[in-house]
Amino acid sequence: MLKLNLFLLFLVGVNAGEQINSYLIYKNVDRSIDLTSQLVKITSTITLENAGKDPIKNFLVVDEPKSDGKVVYRGVKDSAKQDLNLLPVQVDGSDNKFHKVVLRQNLEPGRTATVVLEEIIAKGLAPYPSSISQKEKQLVRYFGNHYIYTPYTVAKQKTDVVLSSRSVENYTKLKPVTQSDNTITYGPYTDIKPYTEDQLVVHFENNAPFLTVTRLERVIEISHWGNVAIEEQIEIKHTGAKLKGPFSRYDYQRDTSSSHHSIKSYTTVLPATAHSIYYRDSNGNISTSSVKHRKDWIELELRPRFPLFGGWQSSYTLGYSVPSYQYLYRTPEGQNVLSMRFIDHVFDDMFVEEATTSIVLPVGVSDVQLIVPYQVEKLQDDITYKYLDNMGRKVLRMRKNDLVEQHIQDLEITYSWQPQLLLHEPLLISLALFILFVAVIIWVRLDFSLGVPEHSKKE
Amino acid sequence: MVDTARLSRYVSPVNPAVFPHLTLVLLGIGVFFTAWFFVYEVTSTKKTRSLKKELLVALVASIFSGFGVLFLLLSVGIYV
Repeated sequence: MLKLNLFLLFLVGVNAGEQINSYLIYKNVDRSIDLTSQLVKITSTITLENAGKDPIKNFLVVDEPKSDGKVVYRGVKDSAKQDLNLLPVQVDGSDNKFHKVVLRQNLEPGRTATVVLEEIIAKGLAPYPSSISQKEKQLVRYFGNHYIYTPYTVAKQKTDVVLSSRSVENYTKLKPVTQSDNTITYGPYTDIKPYTEDQLVVHFENNAPFLTVTRLERVIEISHWGNVAIEEQIEIKHTGAKLKGPFSRYDYQRDTSSSHHSIKSYTTVLPATAHSIYYRDSNGNISTSSVKHRKDWIELELRPRFPLFGGWQSSYTLGYSVPSYQYLYRTPEGQNVLSMRFIDHVFDDMFVEEATTSIVLPVGVSDVQLIVPYQVEKLQDDITYKYLDNMGRKVLRMRKNDLVEQHIQDLEITYSWQPQLLLHEPLLISLALFILFVAVIIWVRLDFSLGVPEHSKKE
Repeated sequence: MVDTARLSRYVSPVNPAVFPHLTLVLLGIGVFFTAWFFVYEVTSTKKTRSLKKELLVALVASIFSGFGVLFLLLSVGIYV
């Protein structure tokens, strides 16, 4: 009987999931909704208070069930700006998606703690009207919630909505609300029940580039002669309001105002040591690009072959080399470690729908280990052949969808490799040349003439 | 994650700054021996020809040219 009870207890323990602690309250929430770019960035500074009698170890963050767009990044920092881990969990009797945040220090009864929750939502701004002519301004609508969506009671909450321009068509007016310049302030609201929803709508002008990277293929090739070559194949699309009617080059050239919904150029940031940069597409080199050397990075101003309007797309290849000493390391055990970004910057406030990263390892590697900064889909390993390569090189491939700037993080690859293998390529060339010489040696010894040689007649 | 600050950086066995000079020297020697080899092949007759000398010159020429071509590739940016 005791055994059965224990077993049942065990079962309950496994299936129960998390409980919502009603003694935890949000004492104060300061939300800032940044709508100045194509992404919606919500930063909530939350003051947690323990109104119960037991210390609290963790709290829950919940996905809003009916919301436009997709949360592509969510991060929690404590008051010391240290990242806190987020774990997906199940809660009894609720279909919502919960994430558990474990606090670094237990929250003792009666005490408060401050955490900062950052959420980035892609495709949260819908152009309205959805198609505009060349001269019109781009207007977008944001659908959100006046209240923070949470399983806890909120004692006090204030929201700042930061817009890209002063021109606001309209916005929901849940009192108290004030608008000053390009900021709309909602609240303070007090004593909000858990899971309260009330639609917040802002319709405003946003001429920020609505540029989406629909596909990014990044290839990193290691050479132990001292170089790491990077090549990115990028497909971009303007995902703002579609262009209605014709495109006039004349009007486009005359329009010198900086705020325009079309995309003329954008800036890519490369590592400071990047050299041998190339920018081309299927037609060949694109000459409209410029490189500016900054102190800690290289700014690359890329101008597509044509300005991009809503619904238009383009694709190009960008490649560069970096010296290996910045990215390759050696462990005391003699293993090699490559530490490199999974994706790199394409433009500010970028959104990448699908990214594939391949790493071409040197010839003859073994014991390959991969450490990724976040969850990625591992694809089948491949073999590729490069210059002076008769054995083939191992290619590690991985894929991830929905990336933003916060996903620019290092991945690490550890592998064993014999330094003698560096001699493989020069010896291959030498052998080929030697075979040529031997062929010549044999060739001069061959005599196909039918007649008797003259000098032998004399003898 | 490995703490990269505690690892030693990988340095390539040959400094990339000397690739062009190495190319010039190695390829120079390689071309000299190659020329010697071909001149020897066309000027020697059946009687004066020595297989040992031919193979020796060919070996030296191929090793120097091989390394020279490699550093030529590296110095123009084809990192093999």
